[in-house]
Amino acid sequence: MILPELSWQFLYGRLAWAVVLAALVSSAWPTAWRLPRRALAAIVAASSMLMALPGSASGAWHLALAFQYPSGLLLGLCAAALLRRWRGAGSGALLPVGAAAVIAILGTVLYLDAFGLLSRGWYYAGFGPNGAPLVALLLAGACAWCIVQGRRREQAAALLGALALFSLARLPSGNLWDAVLDPLLWGWALVTLVVAGVRRVVRRQAPLAAPVVAPEPALQAAGAESYSPIKESS
Amino acid sequence: MEQFLPPRAAASRRTVFACAAIVLALVAAEGARWSRAARAAAAPSSVEAIVPGAVALTELSRTMVPMPKNVPSAHASALAALPGDRMVAFWWAGSRESGPDVKVYASRWKDGKWGEAWEVASRESLGKALGFGVRRIGNPVAWTGRDGRIHLFVVATGLGGWAASRVVHMVSSDEAARPPTGRRALTAPAGEGIDFTVRRVLPASPLFNTSTLVRTSAVGLTDGGWWLPLYFELGIKYPMLMSFDADGDPTWAGRIGARTTTLQPAIVPVSSTDIRAWMRDASDERRVQHARSRDGGASWEDLPALALHNESTSVAALRLANGEFLMLHNDAVDGGSSRSTLRLSISQDGKSWRTIADVASGSAGDEFSYPTMQLVGSELHVTYTFQRRAIAHHRYRIAIGETI
Repeated sequence: MILPELSWQFLYGRLAWAVVLAALVSSAWPTAWRLPRRALAAIVAASSMLMALPGSASGAWHLALAFQYPSGLLLGLCAAALLRRWRGAGSGALLPVGAAAVIAILGTVLYLDAFGLLSRGWYYAGFGPNGAPLVALLLAGACAWCIVQGRRREQAAALLGALALFSLARLPSGNLWDAVLDPLLWGWALVTLVVAGVRRVVRRQAPLAAPVVAPEPALQAAGAESYSPIKESS
Repeated sequence: MEQFLPPRAAASRRTVFACAAIVLALVAAEGARWSRAARAAAAPSSVEAIVPGAVALTELSRTMVPMPKNVPSAHASALAALPGDRMVAFWWAGSRESGPDVKVYASRWKDGKWGEAWEVASRESLGKALGFGVRRIGNPVAWTGRDGRIHLFVVATGLGGWAASRVVHMVSSDEAARPPTGRRALTAPAGEGIDFTVRRVLPASPLFNTSTLVRTSAVGLTDGGWWLPLYFELGIKYPMLMSFDADGDPTWAGRIGARTTTLQPAIVPVSSTDIRAWMRDASDERRVQHARSRDGGASWEDLPALALHNESTSVAALRLANGEFLMLHNDAVDGGSSRSTLRLSISQDGKSWRTIADVASGSAGDEFSYPTMQLVGSELHVTYTFQRRAIAHHRYRIAIGETI
């Protein structure tokens, strides 16, 4: 059980919350609109300055009061989101449904255990001197392989970064679980799954609903038009 | 198209190289750590039952620990033994429980009397040292390491009530003027006080590291380390323990039993493998709860509750030189309330107990609670919350071989 120095946690908390907050603010910008790089840089700078303020003036003071530290994986995904914005490119969800399902399941099991309902002590295993580091190394190897192969590079890089923080400095807490999972990331995963589920239901119902509208070709055409910004602008 | 291939190939090579370098760095870091890691877990240092005979207990004195001025409420004392039959008492005090002015105070026991109380930690000083806010201050627990340094564990909450509790680890320091890199000093007033530095918040839960508290005394290990009893409290309640090495770094943590209505474990080693824990009960059973480990604390089985009454009140326990167990606990008496009688009971097997003294008793509504015991030489020191207004201290002489 090797824990990080308080000074490292202090620094990590401020940097990590700055990145998470900047990603959250920039995500409010509609995806279809390109966020100017200057605006993005201003958001990151403002977020960093807010976190760097001394004492209770710092945003990190209040965020850590409530949430302690974000996981390394959440930090990595938020950094990837900012990088996407910076490049003005990027396809697919940053948290794919498959990964969201894994995070949601792991989080549910871990939190049920932490609440004392399962009584397995899985969280403590994240401090283990042998198992946790070994799992971290295996995951890091898998992430490196994914990056080299060009598969889910952003997500793999985010996870590799989280594992590097854990293995090199035991951040954020000394526990492997805290490196790859936190309640905020778990909540993000649940929302992703719910949204994906709703979309799937809507898609399934769409062909059934279509015949009801089908008798009116004019309406059908109008419906299609309302989803096309190109047509609206023409 | 072909003219772009070399840069792509170079980028690909850089990616492969970077990934390989990162993975190798991680392997090297973990490998170095693994090679330095201790291989054997330390066993608890139990009291050897080498002195046969019954225990005789004689009360020597009863006093109040001096309170800070103009502070009306006090609760949850803890004791730390120091070399030379000295002690330090820690407790929290303020205008009321959970009040913003609640602070941890301490007083030295030296030459048979208590010194002036001094402020050890407040939510302001802890927040400044940790770099993030602290809403409330709660129970302290103290342990003196073999090197003479006092390790103080203090409940400090995040956003919310006691369910948002975290445990801050502080260490007494002679280096307050120049604290170790990255640590900030909580300096005591000149004279009586002891300086502390904040080491860290103990990581004990994946839920924003909340809902973990301390209350009961730590237990020494053979390697100079100790076990710190913890408990989780967020609706569901369960006891835990965290093991520390001689340097005060956590080595492992685990849960005690599978019950979800027990808390504040009083842990007592019988041998290096046989460990007992008695706990406050938050269930409708209203009995002191009991758990046992037969493998040195690695795993625990829940035992049937004791016959001793417990209406969600804290207990303290230790093992005497003759092998018997002593327990301080609140008991139900006619005309009293859940915390109006504080009783000292003794047991040979940890299951059947008999009362040997009422340390404090009053009428319904009175409170004598949250006891702590410390053996210092041949003296048993007992502190407890007195009417939520102060910390009472009783001193007993313990002799083996006489009848109580």
